[in-house]
Amino acid sequence: MDKEVAIIAYAQTPYEADVESSREMQVLQVTRAALAAAGLKREELDTVITANNDYLDGRTISNMRLVEPSGAWQKNESKVEMDGAYAALYALTRILSGDHDIAMVIGESQASVYGGYVPGIMMLDPTFDRQRWLLNEVSAAALQARAYMNACGVSEEQLAGVAVKNLDNAAKNPLALRAMAGADVRKVLSSRLLYSPIRELMASPLCDGACAVVLASGKAAARAEKPVWIKGVGFSHDSYLTERSLAEMGSLRDAARRCYGMAGIEDPASQLDLAEVHECFAHEELMAYEALGLCAAGGGGDLLDSGATRIDGSLPVNASGGVLAANVACAAGLARIIEAAMQIRGEAGEHQVPGVKTALAHGQTGLCAQENIVYVLGGE
Amino acid sequence: MVQNVGQNRVPRASIPLDPVFSWSVGNWMEQFFDGMKEGKIIASRCPACGRVYLPPRMICERCFVKADEWVELLDTGTVQSFTEAHVKAGKGGELEDLESPEIIAMVMHDGADTCLVARLEGGSAAVGMRVKAVLDPSAENVLDLLSCYRPAE
Amino acid sequence: MAKKEVAVVGVGLSKHVSKRRDVNIAEMVWEAVSACYEDAGLKPKDTDAFITGNMPAFEGVNLPEEWGAGHWGAYAKPLLRITTGGTTGGSVAHGGYYAVASGLYDIVMCIAFEKQSDGNSTMGLNTVALADAAAQFQLGVDPGFMAAFGGGAVGVAVYQASSYMKSSGCTTQHLDKVAALCRNNAALNPYSHLKQPGLTPEEVAKTTLLQYPIRFGHVCPATDGACAMLFTTGEKARKMMDKPAYVLSVSSCSDEAAMVGIAGSGTTNTDPCVQEGCKIAAARAYELAGIKEPRREIDLAEPYAPFAHQMLMFYERLLLCDEGDAPSILDSGSMGLDGELPVCPSGGVISTNAIGASAMERVAEAAMQIMGKCGERQVKKEVRKAVAHGWGGAVNFNVVAVLSDTPRR
Repeated sequence: MDKEVAIIAYAQTPYEADVESSREMQVLQVTRAALAAAGLKREELDTVITANNDYLDGRTISNMRLVEPSGAWQKNESKVEMDGAYAALYALTRILSGDHDIAMVIGESQASVYGGYVPGIMMLDPTFDRQRWLLNEVSAAALQARAYMNACGVSEEQLAGVAVKNLDNAAKNPLALRAMAGADVRKVLSSRLLYSPIRELMASPLCDGACAVVLASGKAAARAEKPVWIKGVGFSHDSYLTERSLAEMGSLRDAARRCYGMAGIEDPASQLDLAEVHECFAHEELMAYEALGLCAAGGGGDLLDSGATRIDGSLPVNASGGVLAANVACAAGLARIIEAAMQIRGEAGEHQVPGVKTALAHGQTGLCAQENIVYVLGGE
Repeated sequence: MVQNVGQNRVPRASIPLDPVFSWSVGNWMEQFFDGMKEGKIIASRCPACGRVYLPPRMICERCFVKADEWVELLDTGTVQSFTEAHVKAGKGGELEDLESPEIIAMVMHDGADTCLVARLEGGSAAVGMRVKAVLDPSAENVLDLLSCYRPAE
Repeated sequence: MAKKEVAVVGVGLSKHVSKRRDVNIAEMVWEAVSACYEDAGLKPKDTDAFITGNMPAFEGVNLPEEWGAGHWGAYAKPLLRITTGGTTGGSVAHGGYYAVASGLYDIVMCIAFEKQSDGNSTMGLNTVALADAAAQFQLGVDPGFMAAFGGGAVGVAVYQASSYMKSSGCTTQHLDKVAALCRNNAALNPYSHLKQPGLTPEEVAKTTLLQYPIRFGHVCPATDGACAMLFTTGEKARKMMDKPAYVLSVSSCSDEAAMVGIAGSGTTNTDPCVQEGCKIAAARAYELAGIKEPRREIDLAEPYAPFAHQMLMFYERLLLCDEGDAPSILDSGSMGLDGELPVCPSGGVISTNAIGASAMERVAEAAMQIMGKCGERQVKKEVRKAVAHGWGGAVNFNVVAVLSDTPRR
């Protein structure tokens, strides 16, 4: 895609364990902030897509109470019940259709309100797995981590290494919930053991927050200061949890392939300057390195150890601290898009990586990253 | 940067909902449960590609045809992955400490292409180890028909 | 990139009955999906993207496609979930339109369903009221007042019907006539739920009064069912069939506001019969479709009407006549299968309501009527342009699609 849809503004709330605010107010804040950053009035929005989930919000048709704070009143609004990175895709198709020029995309949830890991359990096969109550997001992730570690010879120390890198980066991100400047592997490996090998500091903290992105057509974006162009997008669905190999992220590989094809990326490791990956668990980042083609199959651990994905490395991954720093369901992937765009625009403050022109953003939905979506963004 | 407003406390209310659902399992899962009542492991197979689904699925997702061939599998299989659980999910979704750890295993029965998940009892776990399903054909609740796995001799 | 024309090349429907205990959710939806592929002569491997939706509260399953989409052909394919409550099916169809129009996805499978018998419809509908309750609680509204004012779906319909009758001159006899018209149409539709051939308005008038003016015979059933549609580019569609149905435009309007308004949104649209949003969405859709005089140019309408009065009310809100004129247009016979502007030839939502699917089934019927595939219920006049509508949200969410036998130029 060539200068057809751009990100022209964005906003995130700080991520908190239990924010003293309603979700409506959090959405209102990011909507107003994004509009202000775009220099737009609400009236100039053509369409609004929100990402939220009935079970997380604890109410049916969860978007209907967000109509007002999301700027969608009397507008053409819809809801994607997946991560906000998918809402952005839907908004993208609305703009490319020619029917809309400017879209507001919002993702939100409040972990302080929904029942922790229960909504994830509700994604399981209701005729069997769900009710046996052995599988949940974390135990499933643990099964995936073990399968991956066994297949690729990755160690627990390397998993901890991802957490160390990201939580240290998070210390430079004022919005992060969990941060540990100068974190070390021992601290991670001695944190509460949940489901082996997953320990608390290897698992993202579910929390409260919201974020918003304004997308604009090429015509409308031409007026914006620093548009970040969407060069390519790809997404894919993977088979049910027990019907696929958990040792690799097949749907992320397919999503990346589709995205790269559209964006003209043949050698991601050299053509990408930075990546923001949706890692709900530390091992997912290593698996993502491979699925995204940043290294050879089985090479995720080695890539981490090489230091290439550190904030000062050749291909920084999760300079923001990633999802290990804050996991707002329905918003975390959209936040990766925002963080990648911030890097391209030079607005990432303390966690800015110099010279980012082309960046990758990844979002996931479902247990063990069953659904994946990948974007390549570019400043030129 | 966005500031969080709401310096005053936001009112909170807890509205307990205890909905009862009654999911139809369909004929394929019914065969699975009926099989276990007789001590058998029943799977469905795709006539086009030969893929064997356990628990049985009506449609082979790769070929988009009915997996309507029935296969009785052995009760033995291989551990594809496992985890030692030190917590479990409480009703409210938090992870509560378990009194003593237990092992949850993902097992591929010999001849199947998909996995079953259950506790592994009576031994430590390793990827690739051989296990045997323990069925409880007289269990009142069909969900308890597959009791657990144990190391195969 | 030039915008692509969007066409419908396949429609599939499952059986629609009150309880499908013989299949689970995934298997029930497969019926509609496989019928759709067969109708179009396409296979899952030809599909570029899948879009699916249902109303989660009814089945109590979160993201059912995670477990079920393998049954629907989505193996290793791009998948998107869109849900907007009662309008879900329409919103999913709109998603399909945009996906194809964008030029990124040429063949898109859209799936919408509900398996209400697996859950508890009252619970599902009451959780809609929960959002209202939460909003009002935050604003300090007394729970006693809330309880007196609320009322679930039938409650809203009662206010809406009473208000509509007052402003339009619609009588209870008109409601009886609407129900009879729809259930007779449904009898000719193999996929409908409540088929009542020969039902008369007088018989409807004798059904139990639920809450004035709404009788049992004026209300939709709770249905288990699924609908699937294949959208593609105009170019591809013309290679596949002689007479595809084109989707000229889609639009929606979210006119929701908390009952007492938040942050001065300015809406005073608390009378649910006003449906300003429907008028806005319809006007936008007609404009995009190049339609200047809908009442002249639209040949057929499938408004979303789970309650009888809504067929007339939405006929007006879809700008097909002056406000208040729908009852007399019904009396004239114009809305019948052999009329000037047939309405709900499918039998409508009042005859079949698998909630998540219902708004898509309006689009599906409009498409099938244009394609001439409706058999016994095919309307007499030639259908060149049709309007399909969905209603839901809390009270004020409307989706509109305009279909035609010729592409938008």
